Parts: sequence; C-alpha cells; structure tokens
Amino acid sequence: MAQRVGIVEVAMTPGAESKDNFLDQIFKVSKEVLDKAGITRDDVGTVISASSDVFHGGVSCANSYYWDAGAAFLKNGSRQDGESLFAFIYAVMRILSGSYDSALVLGLCKGSENPEDDMITHFFTDPFYQRQLGLNETVAAALQKREYMDRYGITEEQCAGVVVKNLENALRNPYAHIKKKVKIDDVLASNVVMDPLRSMECAPKSEGIIAMLLAKEDLAKKLTDKPVWFKGYGSSIDSFYLGDRDLLEGQLKNAAKRAYDAAGIKDPRKEIDVAEVCEPYAFQEMLWCEDLGFCERGEGGKLLESGATQMNGDIPVNPSGGVLAMNPYVSRGLYRLAEGFLQVRSQAGERQLDKQVNTALAHSTHGFAGQCHAVAIIGS
Amino acid sequence: MGKPVAIIGSGQTHHGRRFDVTYPELVKEAVDAVFENTGLSPDDIDGVVSGTMPSMMEGVALTHFYFADVLRSVGKPILKTETCGSTGISLAFTGYYWVASGMADLILVVGSEKMNEGDSQATMTTVLEPFYQRFFISGAPGIFSMQSQEWSVRFGIPEDKVRAAATRISLDHHNDAFDNPYAHIKKKLTEDEINNARIITYPVRLWDVCPNSDGACAMIFASEKMANKIGKKVSWVKGLGYSGEEYWFGDSDKVRWQCAIDAARQAYDMAGIKNPRKELDVAEVYNPFTFQELLFYECFGFCDFGKACDLTLQGTFSREGELPCDPSGGTLCTNPIGATGLNRVAEAALQVTGQAGDHQISGAKMALAHAMGGVDQYNGVMIIGSEK
Repeated sequence: MAQRVGIVEVAMTPGAESKDNFLDQIFKVSKEVLDKAGITRDDVGTVISASSDVFHGGVSCANSYYWDAGAAFLKNGSRQDGESLFAFIYAVMRILSGSYDSALVLGLCKGSENPEDDMITHFFTDPFYQRQLGLNETVAAALQKREYMDRYGITEEQCAGVVVKNLENALRNPYAHIKKKVKIDDVLASNVVMDPLRSMECAPKSEGIIAMLLAKEDLAKKLTDKPVWFKGYGSSIDSFYLGDRDLLEGQLKNAAKRAYDAAGIKDPRKEIDVAEVCEPYAFQEMLWCEDLGFCERGEGGKLLESGATQMNGDIPVNPSGGVLAMNPYVSRGLYRLAEGFLQVRSQAGERQLDKQVNTALAHSTHGFAGQCHAVAIIGS
Repeated sequence: MGKPVAIIGSGQTHHGRRFDVTYPELVKEAVDAVFENTGLSPDDIDGVVSGTMPSMMEGVALTHFYFADVLRSVGKPILKTETCGSTGISLAFTGYYWVASGMADLILVVGSEKMNEGDSQATMTTVLEPFYQRFFISGAPGIFSMQSQEWSVRFGIPEDKVRAAATRISLDHHNDAFDNPYAHIKKKLTEDEINNARIITYPVRLWDVCPNSDGACAMIFASEKMANKIGKKVSWVKGLGYSGEEYWFGDSDKVRWQCAIDAARQAYDMAGIKNPRKELDVAEVYNPFTFQELLFYECFGFCDFGKACDLTLQGTFSREGELPCDPSGGTLCTNPIGATGLNRVAEAALQVTGQAGDHQISGAKMALAHAMGGVDQYNGVMIIGSEK
C-alpha cells in the first residue's frame, strides 16, 4: 500500500454575497491555504478543481476562466464537473498513484452571480420528455418527500425540526450564509414552493469558494502537526428517469458501503463521531441518515426527535448548519469535508463538538432526488 | 510512478451528422462497442469516467445524469471530467490515475459530443468572459488564425510556403480518412480546391478546418493484474503530460507555446523518450486546424522551431514518412469535441497493438496522443506503448 494521504489545510469564503469578484476570491483562498501550510505555488504538485459551466455565471469551460487565479498556471491539473467531492477523490488518486506529493483541491461556485438554482437544475433534464414538464431539483425533491411521508409516516414537524436544528447550529458558524433563529412554527408557516415542500425547507443559493491542500503522508506530517487522514470514499449513481427509480431506495447505501469498507467501519453510528450530510431539502437529512446506517429505514424522523443528531447527541449531524444554511451547489461537498476536517482538528471554534472527534463523514449529493451520491471518511 | 496501467480496448461510433440517434443512443453505441471489442461486460467494471464539452453545446447540463443508464454506470462510482477541448485526453488521464492509485482494476472511460444539436461556435464564444474577450474573438477559428499568423511572422516563413504545407496536411488527412471506418469527412480533394477554398478567418480556409461531428468514444483502462487475467494483446500507458496557462489570450506566447512544450516534455520524461521523432512510431496530434498541426510538430520536438513547413513538404509526417502523424485523418476530419482527445488515445492504442486496419502504421510500438483546449490554453499528451 502506498503512503496515506493527509489533508493539510483548508481555506474558504463565507456563503453570503461578496464584493470581491470571482477571480479575486479564488486567488485569495488559494493563497490563504498555501500560506497556512507555509508553501508557495511552486511547491504544489497538481491542482484539481470542481466547478460547473452552468453554475458559473454563463462562462463555458469553467476551468479556463480561473485556471491561473487558482494557482494552476503551467501545472498538470484537471477539473471535475458539478461535484467537489469528485475533485477531492481525483486529487487523492493522483497522490496515491505516486505521481504527485501534494494536490490543491478547489471547489468553486459564485452563487450570487448565478440564476436561481432551479433554473439551472432544469437543464439536467433531457430535452424531449422531462423538460416540457418543468422538472427540476425542487420538483423531484417534492415527489421524494411526498413518498417519504406516505411510506414511513414522516411528519411536517419532523422536517421542520431539521431546519430548526441546522439553522441553530449555523448561528455559531462564521461561514454560514443564513443566520436566523427559527422555530418549528416559522417553518410550517413559510409558503409552499412545491407541495409538500415549504420555502424554509429548501436550501438557499450561496457563494462558496474553497481550497484544500492534500499531501502524501511524509509531506503532510512536515507541513502540519495535525494532518487529518483520508480513510475511505465511495460514490454511486442512479438511473436517470425518476419513474425508473424507487426514490426512497437510492444509491447512498451503496456509496456509504464502499466508503465504510475502505475505512474499515463496521458500525457507523458508533464509529463515526460527526457527520456532515448534504441536505438541500430538510427531509433529505433524515432519509440520508437512514442510508448512512445511523438508524433503520423509516426511522429518520425518530432519530431526529431523539436528539441524537444534535450538537451534543451521539451522532451529531451538520454542526456547520449544513446546506440549509449555506448552499454553494458545486462546492457544498468540499464544505462538508472542511467542517469534518476542522472538527477532527478541534478548530471548529464555537461549534466545536464537546467530545473527542476522531472520525468524520462528509456526504454530498447532486442530481434529482439524490441521483448521485459521494461519501468521504477522514480521521485522526 | 504508479502501478502500470493497461488499455484493454476501445469502441468508437461512426461519426458524422448523426440525426438517426439521440444523444444517449450515440453514447450507447460506443459503450456497446467497447464491450463487444474487449469481450468484457458492464459487471466487470469498477468505475466510470464520463465527459463532454460545456453544457451549452447540447443544452443539457451535467450530462453524466442523462447518460447514467447508457454508460452502464448505475450502482457504480462515477467521475465527470471536463477540461474544454482537452476533455478527451483528460478523461483518459482520469482513467489512468484511478487505476494507478490502486483504487480500481477496470475503469470505463467515455467521451461524447453531439455537436449538430447545438451551435458549437456560439458555445465556444461563451468560453470567453462576457466583459472583454467575448466581443472580439468569434469562436475557435479567430483564435487559431491569430496563432498561426503569430507563428509564421515570428519565423519569417513566406506566406506561400505556409499555405503549401497546410495544403499538404489537408490533402493527406482527407485521404487518410478514407481508411478510417469511423471518420466523418471523407472527401477527395485537389490542391487547387484546398488553396482556393473560401476563407473562414485569414489565413484559414474551409479545408483547413475540422467539421462539427457527432460521436462518442469508450475505452477500458486496467490494472496489470487484470490485464494479465484477460490475457489479450493490450497497450500500456507510458507517459502523461498536461499543462495549462493564462486565460487571457494576449498574456502568453502562443508560438513557443509553453503549455504544449511542457505537456510533451512531461510525457517524454516519464516514458524515457529523448528523441521523439526517432522513438515515436506514430503520433495522433490534435489538429482541428492544419496550421496548428504544424505548430505542434515544433512544440513537441518533432522538429526545430520554424522548420515544420519544410519537413511537412518533404513528407516526414505523411503515412510513409519518418513519423506519420494522424493516419486516422485526425481531428481535421472528425471532431466530436468531448470525444476527440479520447479518439486520439484510442487510435494510438489501436496502432501499437496492430489493430488499426487499413490505416495501420506497420510495426508501430510507441505512439503519442494529444489534445488541446481552453482559450488556446491547455495541452495534454499521452504516450502509449506496446510493451509495459
């Protein structure tokens, strides 16, 4: 087995609209992460970014625009489209191959310059059948939520409970976009955007430019006293047409199993100390917790009500406030991983969990009703 | 240096204006072909890499969703690689690193484009940001015309000599394409027709330019263990190089083109190649424009700077020459952008395994595959050999 891969440092922007332009933001986080590690651009082996033309203010070939701003000038780099955990794992692969000692991973999304996310997710549809129906991610999520409620008796109050928990956590996160204290009744009183989804159950559209420095074992130990190690990764993709899928039996179980097997995790509820789960729609946090093996199928609502996923619970979920508090579509996976990294390093400030965090899980999803999932496990 | 990575085989679609199939059906054609050609089944595959040009090309975003079923990727890990025009070679790189990392034994890599469903030049204009460059660079020919002018002026090459060399390349490749069953443009041309074709952007004329093709290419990359188990004649990845430079077109020298020079140098170093013209048996150079192919000969060290025209006119890079370039007809005759770079890798692999059919270069053992992308900004080179 080759050397382990460690996360050395991370730098990121807050989720609210910034006055800085996109290139300046990218330059700043790239510079910041290198400064923190005490190295220069010349020391970086390869640069892998995640971005998307359509979540990118209408500039095609997104990486062309920011290549030099993101420290990649005259470097061997590449890009993943739409999902930043893909960029993370591709960078890990490049290091494990022995070709590179270090890699800079970038997740880039300037939400404030994009149209509404659903105008964009509408273009995930095929142009012949689905597009005429006006299908987008929120419509797909509404169908999924309805099925979840019908099949397992998940209640509106439980869904609202996820919002209350995550926005409460976000109050302690300086990077979060949405900062307000809300009650169950506030969520239930918010307007229905796509029945049965209410506006406060849906994630906002945020900025999120994030840089993460990875290095192989010996270099990681040189660059930081506290490297956080890559332990395992899994992803899986589902069929395209919603009608071909059981929306409650998706691919996350599959992705999680791959990640757990790689990390040697047998009992995720016990062995994982914190989980950052991608929940662009509140009910999805409960559904994904089931798929991740934190509770049985259909028990996601009870898991939430038990308080287990609270900051002081036995399996805290989204201490950062999650995607409901900040949703830079492409980079949200890397933000989940960054929170896990900070928690393992005990550098999460006011939101640091009141326990030893050895193992963290980061999850991301993109596509309709979770068509594609990715899970990464990191630890001390 | 990671674990050795083999190429088991490839599958290409027939290219052209493929209004007979939908976009996913086109992808399926390549995926089915690679499984048929290799005798492997989708169940054998550990992971899938998918890629195309930008979403605006066909009006579908994040196409791995749309293709999930035809890629036979449902229930599998997937990566979606995209680096503009160099997407095809970046896909091959992703397949290589996935296997070289030890995380997988068999990776399916698929690139595709259905360019006739969109407006490729309008799409490429949106690669340029909306404030400065978008107003004066109209599509790809504008950029490449400036580059070829910069090159010929720098070395003082007479206009008629440049024209003659470009015409030779166009003539050769359009002939070559007849021997490639998958090529798009198959047309008998004369020197006069090429020399007098209508101007697209000076000095580029119609037959100096690649077509808009619909097509897809699928390849399977494997670990050494799996290649041995399969037990067929395979090819091996010997070297990789990739480099990217400034976004702003005017900021870099496009003649002594650093990212092209660097990409080739990285790949040669890894493959242990000192004298590419001697040690390579065939090169699949990404040549959407005849003039650019000349420039690449120089940047890749096939000849000295300023000498590409002379050698081309002597036939050094023709089918029977010292280093045959693009015997498939190349990008000039077939350009489904998201697949084009992967087609180059597939052709290189066919050549070194002796499976290139009527356009086989006899005895080829070491081949170069290349793709270029961005705002004249990225170059990627892969060296494929017949031996590990």
